[in-house]
Amino acid sequence: MSSIIIDTSASRGVTELLRFLLESGKIDAAITMRNDPENNTYDLGLITDASNLDEAVPLIPVMTVNAGQALSSISISRKKIAVVLKPCELRAFVELVKREKGSLENLLTISYTCGGVFPLDTVITEQIEELLPKYKKIILNGEIPVNTRDTCRTCEHFIPMNADITVSVIGECKPGAGCVMYLNTEKAEDFAEDFAGERSDRKFDPSALKKTLDARLAEKEKLFASITKDGPGLDRLLDTFGKCVGCHGCSSVCPICYCLLCDFESANFDYNLPYFEEHLSRKGALRLPPDTIFFHLGRLTHMSFSCVGCGMCSDVCPVDIPVAAVFKKTGEKTAALFDYLPGRDVEESIPVMVYKEEEFPDIG
Amino acid sequence: MIPREDEPMTDAQRKGAVLPVAKDPGDAILEFLRLAVASELADAVILPMKVPSGDSYAWILMNDVSLMDDAVPIAAAMPVQGAKALRSLTRKSPGNLTVIAVMRPCEIRAAVELVKLGQVHADNLILATYDCPGAVQLQKYVDDPEGSEEHFSRMLQSGKPDNTAKPVCHYCEEFSMFDSDLHFGYLGLSEKEVLVIPGSDKGSELLAGLGLDPARDLSDWEKGIDSLKVERETARKSAFEETGEQLRGFSGMLSVFANCIGCHNCQSACPICYCRLCYFDSETAQQDPDALITAAAKRGGISLPEDRIMFHVGRMTHMSLSCVSCGQCTDACPVSIPVAGAFSYVADRTQRTFEYKAGRNDGDPLPLRQFRKSELPGIHELVKNAESEGPSHE
Amino acid sequence: MKKEFTPRITSFLCKWCSYTGADLAGTARLQYPTSIIPIQVMCSSRVDPVFLIKAFLSGSDGVLIGGCHPGDCHYETGNYHARRRFAIVMGVFDSLGLESQRLKLSWISASEGPKFARVANEYTEEIMALGENPTRKSIFL
Repeated sequence: MSSIIIDTSASRGVTELLRFLLESGKIDAAITMRNDPENNTYDLGLITDASNLDEAVPLIPVMTVNAGQALSSISISRKKIAVVLKPCELRAFVELVKREKGSLENLLTISYTCGGVFPLDTVITEQIEELLPKYKKIILNGEIPVNTRDTCRTCEHFIPMNADITVSVIGECKPGAGCVMYLNTEKAEDFAEDFAGERSDRKFDPSALKKTLDARLAEKEKLFASITKDGPGLDRLLDTFGKCVGCHGCSSVCPICYCLLCDFESANFDYNLPYFEEHLSRKGALRLPPDTIFFHLGRLTHMSFSCVGCGMCSDVCPVDIPVAAVFKKTGEKTAALFDYLPGRDVEESIPVMVYKEEEFPDIG
Repeated sequence: MIPREDEPMTDAQRKGAVLPVAKDPGDAILEFLRLAVASELADAVILPMKVPSGDSYAWILMNDVSLMDDAVPIAAAMPVQGAKALRSLTRKSPGNLTVIAVMRPCEIRAAVELVKLGQVHADNLILATYDCPGAVQLQKYVDDPEGSEEHFSRMLQSGKPDNTAKPVCHYCEEFSMFDSDLHFGYLGLSEKEVLVIPGSDKGSELLAGLGLDPARDLSDWEKGIDSLKVERETARKSAFEETGEQLRGFSGMLSVFANCIGCHNCQSACPICYCRLCYFDSETAQQDPDALITAAAKRGGISLPEDRIMFHVGRMTHMSLSCVSCGQCTDACPVSIPVAGAFSYVADRTQRTFEYKAGRNDGDPLPLRQFRKSELPGIHELVKNAESEGPSHE
Repeated sequence: MKKEFTPRITSFLCKWCSYTGADLAGTARLQYPTSIIPIQVMCSSRVDPVFLIKAFLSGSDGVLIGGCHPGDCHYETGNYHARRRFAIVMGVFDSLGLESQRLKLSWISASEGPKFARVANEYTEEIMALGENPTRKSIFL
């Protein structure tokens, strides 16, 4: 597999690749982040006309929607689509493909070594363009920008898994020195054939990103410790999730939670009066609507092993619950039970769909 | 509460019983509720209580009088719309517990709408409201609970929302209402008293049971309320003018909702949107992927997730007739879109079309549940105007 | 000493094995405590993780799943899936520092009446030592 040296910025390089693909008719549509300078907003755009690529900012550290989730229904189209996504978005999409909620067949996936994204709060209150120079400098040095999402600062999977094309942003992309696009698959070679740019046989070297990895791992330890800093247990759980307003925004932006109607919103958990009377007679009081903690614990058992730590849930929480940090921590634990890593391999079955005859000797 | 069988009282008939105040109006309300539960005139009450982390409130259904010491009847913030609490309790059946709920007027109005929609069974509920000065924005409360409490206590005294209050509270005219079974009035009165005013037979019976005689004339209190109403009406006029300007045309809509990420938090926080599975989240609303790409090709590109503007306009048509302008949608929006301002503005117009007022408990059925053979004479004008302005193609 | 109390152990018992095992314990007049509240399920894999959590949060002092021994499932593989789901719930509880001792899975066949009685006795004692589930009195759950 070869690589392409781009002599402009990585962002422009990717945009040019998308332009080439659209203009040559190799793809029918491109999906990438866009910037609307007029409203100062960002969104994920589905672009069919190359002239609309002027608004594309494919590598912008902003996530308005997990692109893996947005791709889900579109990906089953018979049309050819190139999509630029963050590593966690691609992992989320792979998890959806395993659940038959998407297909990689007609997609060309382009991902990049990710420095983390700014929280939505920052995106709407500040000028991202002004934050970028400092951000780029920090990630180039293998350090962590403090103003990114907590799950990004602690993310160790910032190197894309399963991408057809990997764009090297964090380590190698030095200003003026050009950037590298690694073509990882036959598909990538086919699509990028005839695309201008110096070819090389340079291989992606993850060890160059060791500094970033170490910094992220150290940060992760700190974050996980902070979740249980006042001791674990029921009281701690109530302190964290007790102020939940029950909007379920965390589940609706979660790329893994694909159910149209979540179990916890279904009629299964509508109660008749005797339910409330029993609670009243037992403890003299109960919360309305009920099932606040139940929802989060339930969701943890339903999807945590597939959690990619994208951080959308924390960003949309109206009462600033650190949902993503808790789900990431618990998710690592539940995935590790099965030596599972969400988004690693599309052939790897999700843990609840398979079993081994000999496992968990301590249970039962 | 509904269907209303008793004749609504005329203003002249309305009188209140005086409750003594030890500390603040909230205390007087608590004392009243304790008495009601202790005298077995109510089985339980629903009140806000601080959550364990201290930076928000939750609705608590309680029958243990000792737990009421920790309740805060007039809470600074409204994290969960009270009508949703009532819905979770009575959606399946009215049951046989008599429960008194003390909530903001907009929460009771939402509950009234939910009764009409068959989602709340209020047969055994006694719905009580109080003079509401407004609620502190949720984000502000969570960021600084102590400071917010101080702001709110000043708001309580003046009856006026300050800059920490939700934007819609500034121009809410329904901050004090009679349409509840009971109303606790304190604005315009001496600090030593709260008036409890019955608004229905249920309310009157409760007062009688407690030996409270509604003998006090309401004129002092009404004067206090009326002067505040004037200010709110002025604020409402200018807010609607501004919102109307911002929302004008498709480009206006696009720019107000420009930051929308399609999370539908506004809809899930909305007390009126009771559908388990919103149409806009359903399979029916999902576009065929090939058709979507073809549609995108017509414009060169589209934004994902698709149909975000369609969602808001659609929701306006689905629920604005019942919108009570409680502002929960804005509080829940992760990208600070003034959803409530837009919905309140639209609701004002759609409700006026049918001379309907959401939350009014006068036995009026929902506008879409009835029709008259001869009505809406202006509809032809509307169509003509729309044609002359021409469709927008931005 | 903790105050003596009668624990409530919500028990999801597979119709084909543990539930019959419990019956056998009864007909053999083996003593086991009244703390066990049996709920018959068609298979241990019928127990969604949310059942365990609901029982736990509703104040059950212990939650027990009784299923067929691995390899003996009436539906061939149900209990293997049940085991995985149970492992996930335990993982969630452990990572949050919740009392995972309040959850238990045991393989008890239809012929193992004595084992059922033993598990019921031992688990009840274990739960007695743990004390009442704090969720029983919590109003903010």
